[in-house]
Amino acid sequence: MASEPETPGAVAGRWHPPSSSRGVAASMRIDADGVVSVADAEGHLLKEVTLVSVEVSPRVGSIPRRLTFGDGAVFETDDNDGVDRALTPLRRGAGLIHNLELFRPRLAIFVVLVIALAAGIYRYAVPLLVEVAIAATPPVVPRLLSQSALVSLDQTVLSESKLDEPSRAALTEGFAGLAANTPRGAEGYKLNFRDGGSIGPNAFALPDGNLVLTDQLVTMMKDDREAVFGVLAHEIGHVEREHSLRQLYRAAGVTGLVLLIGGDIGSGAEDILVQGAALMSLSYSRHQEAEADRYSVELMHRAGRDPAALARFFEVMRDQFHDTAETDFLSTHPATPQRIEETRRYAEELSKEPAR
Amino acid sequence: MRREPFEFLGTAREYFGIWIVNVLLTIVTVGIYSAWAKVRRQRYFQGSTRLAGASFDYHARPMQILIGRIIVLVILAAYNLSAYFLPQIVSGIIGIAFLFAVPWFVARGLRFRARVTSYRNVRFDFTGGYGGAFLAYLLGGMLAWGTLGLLAPIASQWMWNYTLGNLRYGDRPIQCDPRLEKLYGQFVLPAVVFFAGVVLIVGLGVIAFVAAIGTDLDVENYLPSDFAVIGIIAAIYAALLPFFLLYVLVGLLYSAGTRNVALNETIIDGRHVLASNIGRWRFAWIAISNFFATIFTIGLLRPWAAVRMARYLAGATALYSAGPLDDYLSTVKDSEGVVGSEFMDIEGFDFGF
Repeated sequence: MASEPETPGAVAGRWHPPSSSRGVAASMRIDADGVVSVADAEGHLLKEVTLVSVEVSPRVGSIPRRLTFGDGAVFETDDNDGVDRALTPLRRGAGLIHNLELFRPRLAIFVVLVIALAAGIYRYAVPLLVEVAIAATPPVVPRLLSQSALVSLDQTVLSESKLDEPSRAALTEGFAGLAANTPRGAEGYKLNFRDGGSIGPNAFALPDGNLVLTDQLVTMMKDDREAVFGVLAHEIGHVEREHSLRQLYRAAGVTGLVLLIGGDIGSGAEDILVQGAALMSLSYSRHQEAEADRYSVELMHRAGRDPAALARFFEVMRDQFHDTAETDFLSTHPATPQRIEETRRYAEELSKEPAR
Repeated sequence: MRREPFEFLGTAREYFGIWIVNVLLTIVTVGIYSAWAKVRRQRYFQGSTRLAGASFDYHARPMQILIGRIIVLVILAAYNLSAYFLPQIVSGIIGIAFLFAVPWFVARGLRFRARVTSYRNVRFDFTGGYGGAFLAYLLGGMLAWGTLGLLAPIASQWMWNYTLGNLRYGDRPIQCDPRLEKLYGQFVLPAVVFFAGVVLIVGLGVIAFVAAIGTDLDVENYLPSDFAVIGIIAAIYAALLPFFLLYVLVGLLYSAGTRNVALNETIIDGRHVLASNIGRWRFAWIAISNFFATIFTIGLLRPWAAVRMARYLAGATALYSAGPLDDYLSTVKDSEGVVGSEFMDIEGFDFGF
C-alpha cells in the first residue's frame, strides 16, 4: 500500500482477485461518470465497472476501506480520505454516522444526552410502556399466572387449613363485605385458607383476585379480627393496582433494554446493570407496599371498618419479630415503625370525613 | 518460520466517538439501532486488528442482526414467561428442551460468526456440529461445575478443541489439540489462589462475626416472614460478594492460562502456528481494573477499557508462518445462523480469538 498514485485522484491500495487471499499493490480511481477502475502497479487495468455494482464499505474510524466487486474481488485501502474524495462528486462519502462519530467537542453533548435519555427512559418511558402492556394484557394472563403460582405453592410450602369452620365463615363473610366495596366487586375476589408451614403468619394476593391467608396469621392476631381484615384490604390493594403484573413487566422491560445495549458496555457492566435493576425493583416494591397500605386504610374506611386496624397488625409483627429497623434500603417493605405511624396518620385524616 | 505479530491499531479516542454514537442512537431508537451498532463495533475491532499488513473484516449485515435479535428476545421472553404461566411440570419440560437446544444455537452461532469474518478477502468457516457443542458447552460445563473445577481442564480441552479446531480458513482446516497435562499445568496457580483466598475470606469472616457478637446482633430479626425474606437475600449477597470476586479472579487466571496453551497448539493449514503468551496476572489486572474504571465513570471509560484489552491481547499473540499467506481461496458464499449468533451474544457466551 506504499506505492504512489500515478494519476490525480487515484487511491493507492491492495487488490485481491475474486475470493483469493493473494494481494497485489494497485490503485483505484472513480471518474465523473461513476466508473470505477482499478489498475496494478504497472498500470494494467484489473477492473473497470460502474460504481452502482460496487459495494463500498461504510467508513468506521480509520479501519481499511473495502470496495467489493460483484465477482468477489476486493480493493482495500487505508486511504479513507482518498476514497471519500473520489466519492464526493457522486454525492457519496463518509456518511452521516461517521461524521457524528468524529472526536469533536460535540461528543460531550452526546454524553449529556445519553445520561439524560437513560434517566428519562427509566423514569418515564419504562412506566409508560408498563401501563401500555398492562392495558394490552388479556384477563386470561393473570388467571394463568395465579393458577400456576397457587399450584406451585400448594405443592411446596402450603398445606390444608386447620382453622375451625366458624372462624372461616366469619372471615369469609367479612372479606366479601370488603370486596363489595372495590371496583371488581365481591365476585372478583376469593379468600383461600391455608396452613402457612414455613412461611408462617402471612397473607398474599394473586393477580386474579385469589387471596391466601395462613392460619398462623389468624392465630397470631388472636381476637383482633379487624386487624386481619386490615391485612386483607392491603392485599386487595395489590390486586386492584395490578402490582404483580407491573413488577413483572417492569423487570422484563428494564432487562430487555440492558441486554440490547450489553455489547457496548461489556459483560461485567451488563451484569451490574441487571443486578442494579433488581435492587431498584426492591425500592419499587417498597413503593407498592406503601400504596397498598393506603389502600387498606381507604377500603376499611369505605366498608365502615376500623381504618387503623392494619397498624395494629404491624405492631404485633414488630413485637413478635422485633422488626424495629428505621429504614432498610434492601427491604421490599417500608420499615415497620414508619408504616405504623403513616397508617395511623392517614386513618385519622380519613376519619375526619364521614364514611360513605 | 517467520514471526508475524498481531497488532491492534484502534485508539480509545477514535472508538469513543463510535461508542457514544452507538449508545445514543440505540437509546433514541429504543434498541433498534443496536444491530447497526454491533456491526460498527465489530468492524472497528476486527478492522483494527492487523496481521502481516492486512486486517480482519466483519461482514454481517445490520438487518440480519436485527432479525436475529428480535427472534432471540421473543424466544427468551416466551421461555421466561412459560415459567410463570404454565404448570411446573410443563415449564420444567420446556426448560430441559431449551437446555438441549443450547448446543444447536452455539453451533449455528459459531458458524455464523466464522462466516462473516474475513482476512485477506478469505472468509473463515466453522464445521462443528451439535454433538461437539453438546460435549463442549453442556457436558463440559456440568463436568467443571459438578467437580468444583477439578475436571475443568477436560472441559477446557473440549471447548477449545470444538471452537478453534472446527474453524477453517477458506477451505483449509485449523487444528487445535491442547494437551490435557498442559491444561492441568495452568490449573495449579488458580487452585492455589482459590484456596488461599477462601482461607483469607473465612478467617476475616470469623473475626467479623466474633466482633459482631459483642454488639446487639438480633438474629430473630431475620425470622422468615413476608417482611424479612429480602433481608436474608441481602445478607447472603453481602456474604457471597468476596467469594464472587475470588471466583472471578481465579476464572481470569485460568482462562488466560488455557488460552495460551490452546493457541500455542493451534496449527492452521498444517503449517502456520499460533503463539500466545499473555501474562496471567497482567490479564487479570487489566480485566478487573477495566471493570472498575468502567463502573466508576458510569461507562465513560468503557471505550478506553475495551481498546486497552484488545491491544494487550493482540500484542501477546503472534503467528509463525511457514510459507506465503496468499494462496488461500474463500469458499463460503452464504451465512445463515444469525439467530444462534445473537443468542450467544445476548446470553453472554464469549469465545476470544
